[in-house]
Amino acid sequence: MTLTLLEAAILLFVIGSAVTAALLRDVLGSIIAFAGYSLGIAILWVYLQAPDVALTEAAVGAGVMTLLFLLTLVRTVRPPSDELLESVGWRGATAGGALAAALLTTVPSLPAIGDPDAPVVAGEVTQYYLDNAYGETEVENVVTAVLAAYRGFDTLGEAVVVFAAGVAVLVVLRQGEFV
Amino acid sequence: MSSNDRPPYVESTIIMTTVRFVAPFVLTLGLFIMFHGAESAGGGFQGGVVVGTVILMLAFAFGIEAVRAWLNPTAILGLIASGVLVFLAIGFGSVALDGAFLEYHAYEQLGIHHASGYGIELVELGIGAIVTGVIIGLFFVISAGFDPAEGEEEDLL
Repeated sequence: MTLTLLEAAILLFVIGSAVTAALLRDVLGSIIAFAGYSLGIAILWVYLQAPDVALTEAAVGAGVMTLLFLLTLVRTVRPPSDELLESVGWRGATAGGALAAALLTTVPSLPAIGDPDAPVVAGEVTQYYLDNAYGETEVENVVTAVLAAYRGFDTLGEAVVVFAAGVAVLVVLRQGEFV
Repeated sequence: MSSNDRPPYVESTIIMTTVRFVAPFVLTLGLFIMFHGAESAGGGFQGGVVVGTVILMLAFAFGIEAVRAWLNPTAILGLIASGVLVFLAIGFGSVALDGAFLEYHAYEQLGIHHASGYGIELVELGIGAIVTGVIIGLFFVISAGFDPAEGEEEDLL
């Protein structure tokens, strides 16, 4: 796998901001690092040719989540501390190391990006969607065609989940309305 | 927690001017992503979030309480409910026209050309309405915080 300079820089930025978000003792700094991490991931999605996911990550991960975290932070009390970094226990380090090892051994065996022999490209289902999506649903974006037409019932479920989450927040906080 | 220990809102000319300038463009981008999800990247979920952030931006620039007073709570709830209802109506409408659930082509017998394309657009708008409403709602609910009623603290701890 070869990386261009830009890809390597973004990867480095993502890993750096993730580690910063995890280790910083100051919660405000952590939130800012986490927003940077989300933005880096969003750019990586664009590189992986998944603009729909990139849009979601940039809007929700980097935008709205940061605001919600900040709002929550305003209402909490932060204990003053002189230490810059959180101390890492051996349990956390072991769990993190194990997860990283598992990912580093499994991810490289995935097919390369754009590999014509990859199962998802050569598969019957993908080819069916690419061939018939426009004719059957009159939508050019195959992702939207699958989302709203072929898997429309699932998407109705997703929309209702968002709706139910909003209602649940109101019920738990015992409020009648949002604003 | 009561509302008076919240940090006071500080008026900033720079932020207010920037938001006043940027907000119409962000709103247009959000609607574009929502409407254009059928032809390019995007859709209801993404566009809805971007439209919702317009209100969040306004709240950060002009004060959360001011925007809260300006918003109509029934409108937010109505926005969310109308999104679900639009989606369900399109789904059951095709059943009423002897099609399967969400079978957009069933609407073509009403004389609507490209019924599938328009149906998908409408569904995306419905999703967008749900997401916009929930994002705005979550923001204001979290900013208001939760004040436990008398005698409830022990249950919560």
